[in-house]
Amino acid sequence: MKFVCLNCETYMNFEKVEKPGEGSLGVFFGCPSCGAKFSMVTNPGETQMVSSLGVKLGGRTVAPEPFEMTRGTLKDEASAGSGQMAAYLNEKIQAGQPVAASPAAPPKSGDKTGSSGCPFSAMVAEMGLTSSGQPANGAPAKSEFTWTADAKEKLDRLPVFVKPMVQSSVEAYARKQGYTTITLQVMDDSKNDSPNGIAWTREAEQRLDNIPDFIRPMARKEIERLAKERGVATITAQVMDDAKDKFMKFM
Amino acid sequence: MAPDKDLKTILGKLRYSDDAKVVQQITEQMQQVQARMAGIKHKLVVMSGKGGVGKSMTTVNLALALARQHSRVGLLDVDLNGPCVPRMLGLHGQSLTMTPAGAVPPIGPLGIKVASMDFFLGAASPVRWKGPMDVSPVWLGLMEMNVIREFLADVVWGELDYLLADLPPGAAADKPPVIAGFIPDLAGAIVVTTPSEVASDVVQKSVTYARDMGIKVLGIVENMSEYRCPSCGEQNELFEGNTEAMCEVLDLPLLGRIPFDRKLARTFDKGEPLLDETYPTIQRYQEIAGRIRTLLDYKKVLAEKL
Repeated sequence: MKFVCLNCETYMNFEKVEKPGEGSLGVFFGCPSCGAKFSMVTNPGETQMVSSLGVKLGGRTVAPEPFEMTRGTLKDEASAGSGQMAAYLNEKIQAGQPVAASPAAPPKSGDKTGSSGCPFSAMVAEMGLTSSGQPANGAPAKSEFTWTADAKEKLDRLPVFVKPMVQSSVEAYARKQGYTTITLQVMDDSKNDSPNGIAWTREAEQRLDNIPDFIRPMARKEIERLAKERGVATITAQVMDDAKDKFMKFM
Repeated sequence: MAPDKDLKTILGKLRYSDDAKVVQQITEQMQQVQARMAGIKHKLVVMSGKGGVGKSMTTVNLALALARQHSRVGLLDVDLNGPCVPRMLGLHGQSLTMTPAGAVPPIGPLGIKVASMDFFLGAASPVRWKGPMDVSPVWLGLMEMNVIREFLADVVWGELDYLLADLPPGAAADKPPVIAGFIPDLAGAIVVTTPSEVASDVVQKSVTYARDMGIKVLGIVENMSEYRCPSCGEQNELFEGNTEAMCEVLDLPLLGRIPFDRKLARTFDKGEPLLDETYPTIQRYQEIAGRIRTLLDYKKVLAEKL
């Protein structure tokens, strides 16, 4: 945070920090041109915000101890101070004074936040979502494809949370291939479809099968990345040889 | 009273200087983290969106498995409010040794170096912070992030092959992925789930969020896959889920399945972990650790097998 001397049109310099009271910091600034002095006094909450950054205003004079902030801030049984901020705010509110920074302006007339005053409910409403994140009309997306009974059965066997993603992925593949009906074969083929639009020859696929299954997806991505870098649309045995040469450098 | 002036014009003429030295100190803090982490070859986080899936049990056993494979291993218990790693490894009651060079961690079984919030707490004491903002969630978030930063920056880890961080539960814009983002050159995240659909649902969100944060997810460990009877050794399913389907959708490898093993769990509860590498459940952890090593070295595997 910086302060500007509007008379001299310059930044005020940080000068020193004092502790005028428990839970409070007085931060002093001076104008380098006119010499005007200015002190900002933090409330207990602001003081603690600064301390939790693990920094000393104005810089350190001694190196930090290991776990300085953790050890210095962990509460021991005898320490007091809890609720100090609440007391401060309560005091201000009871006394009818505004607190330092108003957390939220009251909603304007006709404001979309409505009577609840929650800023997020309006955003959610604007996005057409319910609180659960589902589309407000609650209707599932209609499929433009015909699913054969066995393909539909396979889809329905998937866990609820997985189903929409698989459906969307299979349908995206079918759309790309110009299919209107989704069969078990289409579902299987969609698994090998590269989102990069890169095709694999049978020989290249067979060589990929030599890789342990748990790292095969990673290998596929790496090889497709290599192909993309080289502007190749199909992974052939030659691309696999090039990939092998590239990985040999890591041996 | 100064006349009304155009602040934008004034600021346009001025050069900002950090004379309170806040930015400088925060930069130094991050450099300190970088310096401490530089001696560690592979930094991994173990996470899950869901609580209670056995993250700590998985982390501790993976650390032991890697140590058994002759690696130098460190284990950072990042669950500040529910630290349990020291108790599981029989280190409860020990503490970090503060030295001018930093905080020296206690050494657990098989030479594992351990750091945990537990080392700062009394027997039954929860984590409580001093000050007026001790119940403010905004302040707590900031505070906890800086405590984690101190764990990364101030512990004398030395040279390690692996540092495993056991993250607290959480799926999205809360701590775990953010914590992971703190660790420089993070090798990746290992995600723990149970076969339950509820757990899988939340775990999936955490994977998506981690990927959005640029964290490489290495794979999934399915914990509590089945129940191993301590009397007869027979195994039965505990949940009816489909972790394989989830892995397929997320395009992630299933690194392995771990049964719920009461005998093994009990040894960790007592702080006397079973270390017998011939024990069947421990062998499963060994296999997963082997797969993790392969994943981290996958380019070598590709060079050999393609």
